[in-house]
Amino acid sequence: MITILRELVQSFLTFLERVGLLVRFALRLFAILPSGLLRPRPIIEQVYNTGAMSLVIIMTCGLFIGMVLGLQGYDLLTRFGSEEYLGTATAISLLRELGPVVTALLFAGRAGTALAAELGLMRATDQIAAMEIMAVDPMRRVVLPRFLGGVIAMPLLVSIFIVVALFGAQLIGVEFFGVDSGSYWSQMRSAVELSDIREGLVKGLVFGVACSLIAVYEGYNAMPTAEGVGRATTRTVVISAVVTLVLDYILTALML
Amino acid sequence: MNNQSGPAAASAPAVQSPSIAVLRDVHFDVDSGKTVFSGLDIEIRRGAVTAIMGPSGTGKTTLLKLITGQIFADRGQVVVDGLDVAKLNRKQIFALRRRMGMLFQNGALLTDLDVFENVAFPLREHTRLPERLIRTIVLTKLHAVGLRGAAGLYPQQLSGGMGRRVALARAIVMDPEILIYDEPFAGLDPISMGVVLRLIRSLNDALGITSIVVTHDVREISQIADLSFILSEGKVVASGTTAELRDHPSPIVHQFVDGLADGPVPFHYPALEYHEQLLGGTVFA
Repeated sequence: MITILRELVQSFLTFLERVGLLVRFALRLFAILPSGLLRPRPIIEQVYNTGAMSLVIIMTCGLFIGMVLGLQGYDLLTRFGSEEYLGTATAISLLRELGPVVTALLFAGRAGTALAAELGLMRATDQIAAMEIMAVDPMRRVVLPRFLGGVIAMPLLVSIFIVVALFGAQLIGVEFFGVDSGSYWSQMRSAVELSDIREGLVKGLVFGVACSLIAVYEGYNAMPTAEGVGRATTRTVVISAVVTLVLDYILTALML
Repeated sequence: MNNQSGPAAASAPAVQSPSIAVLRDVHFDVDSGKTVFSGLDIEIRRGAVTAIMGPSGTGKTTLLKLITGQIFADRGQVVVDGLDVAKLNRKQIFALRRRMGMLFQNGALLTDLDVFENVAFPLREHTRLPERLIRTIVLTKLHAVGLRGAAGLYPQQLSGGMGRRVALARAIVMDPEILIYDEPFAGLDPISMGVVLRLIRSLNDALGITSIVVTHDVREISQIADLSFILSEGKVVASGTTAELRDHPSPIVHQFVDGLADGPVPFHYPALEYHEQLLGGTVFA
């Protein structure tokens, strides 16, 4: 019993230590943020690497999520004879929840793991150490542009995901089941408020900060071995997914 | 009063000492508690090629990390070009490192940049030189290592020896005062090894720099080193010229220089008694 208790306390202390290290890492990143913004080129490159390179998976998944919403939404709404509200239901659920959350989960799986693996390999192959020896701060030169690239890319990806998903739902609802196209779009336009769009974008931005931070932290601090890099990528996905869902609840509660 | 308070504190002292790096009574333990150095004393002469040798795990790379300020001694003093490394802040350490170049064991080239950009990297980060001048400097350095024609290749397209030479061009692009080599011959074929060996000596003499070479390759380094140190069990067990080391009475120096499998550094890692382990059920001691 005492052993279990001791292990629990030890695990809690380790967890606190990790959180503390992550916070310290984040504070260091934010401290060098202004100087990093003065060099936009590497940031733009990273927006391309994390954002543009994730477009295929984001658009494909967005299309299918939208189609599933179209199917499920139509099935449910026809029970109440309210299928003309399909556009509204789809748009609100996508803007407030599914868009940012699913995009963040996909981002963690595609761009987050790529970031963590890249940084981990840079550490394992002494590229980070070489920069330090060349008197170049790797946090400023390597980590910050990747972090900012992810933060900027996420709200853009969320927007694209939502737009594609809306067309996916329209494809099923309007083109397949014959819901009136005018009703689909006009009900959506009248019901969706600016606050819904804001909620989606705020969530996207917050998830972008969280997922990018976790990815660069795990990659930068990975053990310089093949196993270490593997662990860093796994941890990136797992922690990002959990943090995204926890933050989603907190943000929803705050913005309702 | 702290006389090392500004970035200027990390610049070279007015009167140059004959030693560029001095380690006095350095003690260092790694996190696991293993003692790496227990009273290490080394003096590295300015302008010379100094070899640091010793069996694996004796802390040769750790020594380089101490000199470059990547880690700090638990006790003792590490003085580089008149500056106590432990007393420098991050900015001052970076200023000191700008006067150093380091060749990593695997080259450590930045894989997302081509050869030209790898060599240009320190110039772009630390200077505001016009593009034309950067181009000239980079091509000059690549020419010095014989790889001007490989400027457009990426690190993945280079052989081990070529990668090492590109890294060397990058290490000298800022005209450092100290060039540090971490196992520069590891994994190289004889031709590449000969090229790197010749480059170390010729760059040292042509640029008037100090070279510190960590290596296991006794025969190769003995051709170019002015002075060698052999480390073992946290201390310097022998130092001197190649001829002096060859005639050194210490058994460990004899074992190392002659490449003997057994001696003070045992062939076998400490283990259970052989028969006992074979007949018993335990694999691990």
